[in-house]
This record gives sequence, C-alpha cells and structure tokens, in this order.
Amino acid sequence: MAILLLDHVVKRFGEFTAVDDLSFSVPEGGIFGFLGGNGAGKTTSLRMALDILRPTSGRIEILGRAPGRENSSEIGFLPEERGLYRRMKVLETIVYFGQLKGMDKAAATTEGKRLIDRFGLGEWTKSTVDKLSKGMQQKVQVAAAMVNSPRLLILDEPFSGLDPVNQQVLEDLVMEMARKGTTVVFSTHVMQHAERMTNRLLLLSRGKKVFEGTQEEARARLPGRLSITSQADPSSLPGVVAAQRTGGNDAWSDWDVELKPGSDLGALLQQCTTQGFALRRFESHRPSLHDVFIRLVGSGQEIAQ
Amino acid sequence: MRSIILVAIREYRQIASTRGFWVMLLVLPVVIALTQVAGRFIRPNLNSAYVLVDVSGQYGEAIDRRIAINRERFELGNLSAYVQRWGAGSAKPDAVWAKGDRWFTDQQIQQFIAEGGAPAALELIKPKLPKDAPVYKVEPPLFIRAELPYDVSAKDGPDELAKNLGPYLRDVIDTTAGERPLAMAVYIPQTVDAQTPIRVWTNGTPNTGLIDSVRAEVVRVQRLKTLEAQGLSPEIAAQMLDATVPIQVSAPPQGEGRELVAIRSVLPLAAAYLLMVTVMVTGSMMLQSVIEERSNKLLESVLAHIRPAELMYGKLVGLGAIGLTILAVWVGAAIFAALSVQGMVADIVKPSLAAFDQPWMFIAMAFYFFAGYLIISMLYLAIGALSNSLQDAQSYLMPVIFLITLPVVFMMVQVVQAPNAALPVILSWIPLYTPFAMLARMTAGVSIAEVLGTGAMLALFVIAEMYLLGRVFQASLLRTGQPPKLSGFIAMMFGKQTE
Repeated sequence: MAILLLDHVVKRFGEFTAVDDLSFSVPEGGIFGFLGGNGAGKTTSLRMALDILRPTSGRIEILGRAPGRENSSEIGFLPEERGLYRRMKVLETIVYFGQLKGMDKAAATTEGKRLIDRFGLGEWTKSTVDKLSKGMQQKVQVAAAMVNSPRLLILDEPFSGLDPVNQQVLEDLVMEMARKGTTVVFSTHVMQHAERMTNRLLLLSRGKKVFEGTQEEARARLPGRLSITSQADPSSLPGVVAAQRTGGNDAWSDWDVELKPGSDLGALLQQCTTQGFALRRFESHRPSLHDVFIRLVGSGQEIAQ
Repeated sequence: MRSIILVAIREYRQIASTRGFWVMLLVLPVVIALTQVAGRFIRPNLNSAYVLVDVSGQYGEAIDRRIAINRERFELGNLSAYVQRWGAGSAKPDAVWAKGDRWFTDQQIQQFIAEGGAPAALELIKPKLPKDAPVYKVEPPLFIRAELPYDVSAKDGPDELAKNLGPYLRDVIDTTAGERPLAMAVYIPQTVDAQTPIRVWTNGTPNTGLIDSVRAEVVRVQRLKTLEAQGLSPEIAAQMLDATVPIQVSAPPQGEGRELVAIRSVLPLAAAYLLMVTVMVTGSMMLQSVIEERSNKLLESVLAHIRPAELMYGKLVGLGAIGLTILAVWVGAAIFAALSVQGMVADIVKPSLAAFDQPWMFIAMAFYFFAGYLIISMLYLAIGALSNSLQDAQSYLMPVIFLITLPVVFMMVQVVQAPNAALPVILSWIPLYTPFAMLARMTAGVSIAEVLGTGAMLALFVIAEMYLLGRVFQASLLRTGQPPKLSGFIAMMFGKQTE
C-alpha cells in the first residue's frame, strides 16, 4: 500500500507552475528520498501532502486518505523553514506540538522527555528556547516532529543548519525510526545523505518528475564507465559507446570506456576473455547519486556535494 | 475546537509570561493607589499670597474685607449645593445655606459670617446627613495677605517697591499660614488718578477676581466720598452704593440637570474607553504574536497540524482572554477606588447605574463590546499576517489607528455634552465605530430599534470582515516577499490569490 500518493498533481501560483503533472507513490516502510535542486517543487509537493497548500489539479492520498489535519496524529513534519516560539520552554514546546497532533498531555510529556534526553538536551528542559544555540533549537524541532511516534515522518531538508555531529545524531535517529516501521520521506539536495539513507528516491526538476525508483535503478540510467588497460582499441567491443585513450606505452594503452546504459559488465569481461581481447586492467566505476543527479536533472540545478 | 483551545492557551500563557503584560495589568491599580496616597498625604497648597501697600491709608481695609467676603461667597455657594444635594436643609430651614441658592448678596454673606460661617453650619447639618454623604471640606482661602518683607520698603515709590519685590514674585513669601507663592502685589498711591494709578504686579498669572476686588473697593470708597461731598450722610451714601436688587438664583441639586447627563454617561463612556484601550492593547499583542510566528518561520510546523482558521480563532480567543483579564483587573481597581473615595458611589456610580433602567442594555453592551473586540482584533490579525516585520506592520497600522481613534475621540467628547448629536448618531450607524458610539450613548435614550438596527448591521459587518480578512490571514501566513499592495490585498480577500 502506498502511504503517500500523488496522481497527476499540478500546482500553479499565478502564471508560475511549481509542480507540473507530478505522479509518484511512496510505499509504506523504508526511507524515501525527495531530491531536486532549489525551486524543483519539493517543498510545494510536501506542503500539498500536508494540506498546507491545495493542488490546482490532481489527486493526493496520504495514509490512504485525502490530505487533512485529521491525519496529523500519524504524521511528523519538520519543515525546511524552521522556527520555534522563542519564549516557550523546551519541554513545553514539544508537548504543545504533541498536543496539536492529538496526543494527551501526559503522553506528550513522557515522550518529549525521552527525546530531550536522546538529543542530550536534558539540562535545558526548562529553559526557554531563546536561550538555546541554533543547533539545539533544531534538535527541539526534530523532537517536536517525532514526539507522536508518527507512522509517516516527513522531513524537509532536515540536515540543513546542523553541524556534522548533529547530522549524524539525526541520521541515526531517522534510521532507527525507519527500522521500527516509520516511513520516512525526506527532501534534500545533499546527495550523500540520500545515498546513505534512502531505499527509493524521486528526482524532481522544475516541478517535473525525472526519475522514481531505487538507487540502483537510478544508477542504471547512467552509462557505465570502465578504466581498462589493453593492447587493442576497445571501441569495437559490444556495448561500448566510446573509448578514450588516456595513456600507456606502445604495447599497452589505458582507456576510459563509456558503455551503453544498463550494460552487463560481467558479460563484457567474459566476451573479452573468449575473444582473446588482451587485458591487464578491467576496473568499473559505479556512478554516484551526484552523477545521476547531474545527468538527469542537469548541471544547472544547484546541488550540494 | 481542541486545537483552538490549545492555541488560545498557548497565546494566553505566552503573553502572561511577559513583564510588559504585568506592567500594563498593574499600571492602573498602581496609579489609583498612588493617587489615593498622594491625595491623602501630599495635598498641594493651592492658595497663594498677595501684598497690599496702601500709601493713602483709605482702601486697604475695604479691599481686605472684599476679598474675605468673596471667599465666603464661594464657600457659601459650595455649602449650599452640598446641603441641597444631601437634603440637609431641614437642619435650619431659614439659614442662608438651606434654600439651594447659588447667588448671595453681601448682606447674606455677612449674615453667614455672623452665624459662624461654614464650621457652624456643618455642625448643624451633621445629624441630617445620610451615611454615604462625603465629608464636606472647607477649602482654605485662595488668597492670603502677606506683610511686606522686612527687606522691602514702599517708601521710595512704586518702582523701587517693584524692584525689591521682584525676587518674591518669582518665589514665595512668608504668610501667617507659612510660605506661599506671591501671586500679586498692589500699590495704591496717596492719590489715585490718571497720573498716579494703582500699580499691580503679578507673578505671571494675574487673578482677575483679585484685581476686580481692588478696583471695586477703590471705586466704592471714591464714590462714597463724592456722595458725602455732595452733602449726603455716610450712612445714606453707603446704602446707595450697597443697594442691590434681590435675585434668587436656583440650580438643580448636584448630580442633576446638565450634570446628570454627564454622570449618566460615566459608565457607558468608561465602557467605550475600556473597549478602545483593551482592543488596542490586545491587538498590538496579537500583531506581535503573528509577526513572531511569521518571522520565526514556525507557521509551517503549526499549519501542518491545525487549520489556519483554527489558528486565527485560537488567537482571537487567547488574546480575548488576555483582554478580559486586563478588563477584570482594571474594573476591579476602579470599583475599589469608587468604594474607597467617599461619596463617589453615591455621587457617580449609583446615578450612572440607575441610568441602566432596561435589562437589555447590559446585553446590548456586552454584544457591542464583543463585536468591537472582533472588528479591531481582526484588523490587527490581518495586518500581522501581511507584515514581515514590526516595521512593515507600523506602516499599515498607523492609518488604521488614525481611522479608528480620531472619530471615536471626537465622538466621545461630544457624547458628554450631547449624546444624541449628529456625530455620535452617525457614527452609531458606521459598523467600524458602532461599538464605541453605541456603548458611549447607551444611557442617552437610544431606542430598541436603534440598538437592533445598528446591532444587525454590526453583526453582518463582523461576519463579512471575519470571512474576508480571514482569507487574507490564511493567504498571507506562508507568503514570502514584500507585503502586497492594495490590489493584492483585495485579491486575497476574494480568494483570487492564495499564495
């Protein structure tokens, strides 16, 4: 069952189309990456899923229902633009958001305290938010998003603004929630996080879907690359699109070989062997998500390494 | 409903946790308390001194007597009104102070003085006064005659006298009652004529009553002498000059007549002022609250879980509760003040409450107060949602505040004089001003038809305002960039631009 489904969704702001005929589904369980550069339509799509914005056309289902606040008890949400009530105390803040999501005060307090301890904020429980550092405030926001142990956790650029240590803390927490059964949808333009965390991903560009599937499927969209050292020119080998000599001597040359997308490297190696194509080196390069992004979305999009 | 209550509680707690709230809450009670203390212990000396140098020796005594008579006239007038107000004339029906007169001849004053003045009269009326009557306070004389200081002499003429008295006119002078500001110095030469006039120096605030007393007595003495020179006996001449036509000037008792109109307006006007102050105060809190949520970028977190309308209603309820808290404390302080100031309940509160002779008036007032709160609060909410910062809000707010307060202030001033004059009546039918105008005029004989008519218009206006500005609020919450222009604002109202 899809926990989040967008079906031909369009969202326009006046003349500007922020989301253009977008369809995708997020299966229950696991971590789903929502990738795209700035202005790709990630935040708008998530806002529509949460009923903060209404689509111009198309259909959205979340938790098997239409978007609406009645779903909020099963949803955790950390928006990209974050802020807190500066004069509210840390625990009060988490409890308040828990109550807004339908929790009773006692349960929200218990869970809030647990998360505060988990984030190492125990001694700040009764401090007002304005006394916390920016990193600590972000932890409070994350705790407020998670306090209701949601079935679906939506994180919009969750790692922005966090130092590497706290990024790791958050990553661990998200992975732990996913292991416990929470479906996590998170948007990012930091490919390393997506690469480490996601099972499936969606790539957006200018409001349109350019890819949906697993990381392997994404990588398969890119031409394979090989570095080989051979006596002969590999251009005539099956599946080879182009070969560029990069060095070597009179007998052996180094080659940078570009393969057709989806080429089977094992079969190619076998063919080399059976055809007597002499090799000293056969080294495949696995494309990174960054490469995938650049190729599919375009180098014009902003992307963080 | 649960979300609305949660938002309301959060708003209330946030505001109530600020120092500013407590300062504002307690400012009125503290001011009232300080006024009470100051009134009891720090009574300023309102009287001042005058110096009279009568070189001729002919006028000084008469002028002093005239000043004393005028002072007693003032006292007798006050006493007469007091006796009439508290129905104590039966203590001595034939007494000059027992008939409710407001104007007295010199002979009546003389009689009053001869009978012991105010102290003697107060002794007589004491048993006849009701329990809640305030204590009558005999005011000290406005002017006390001071002798020339030892270092000042009148021997060298008026100019030298003026020079020597200069420092005293700028400061104080010793009198029998202690130091007092020297308000005036009078020099009467040997012969008063065009070449050698009476000279008067003041400290900058000349008292016409005092100058008139000097002139009247000098003229009287001169006329007396002229008549005597014409062969009239001093007694006949004095009778001619002092002859007066008896005039009985009656006035309604204190708290009636024109005064009653003002007293009856006290509570309605207080309600209108309280509405104005409360909505302005809570409105600005609401503004700050929305701007904080927008500028701190936390609205998206909130709106993921509650609807914009719930956020709006929660704020209205929470800040409304803050307004009610302020109202309760201020009204409590006012009641305490009324009870602690002797005579205020009987003089002002009771007559004003008595003006509420129809039970529906209280219902109507509650409705106008509530509607007024909603109208102004919604304006503040929408402005807060449109603004990215307090500076943005100020530019929107200034014209709105002027638009609301200026007509209301003019109207309230007029309501005291003529509650059914054109301005208050017209403003009663303009929904933005209806709550203020109708609250202020409530005891001025407004008809049920007027209440129903203005109330219906007001209710429709509030519904339309909440619908249209509610859309602006909703559309503005997550808006980024510069605040919209008028066309954008109107488009938001009619749902043509939602983001």
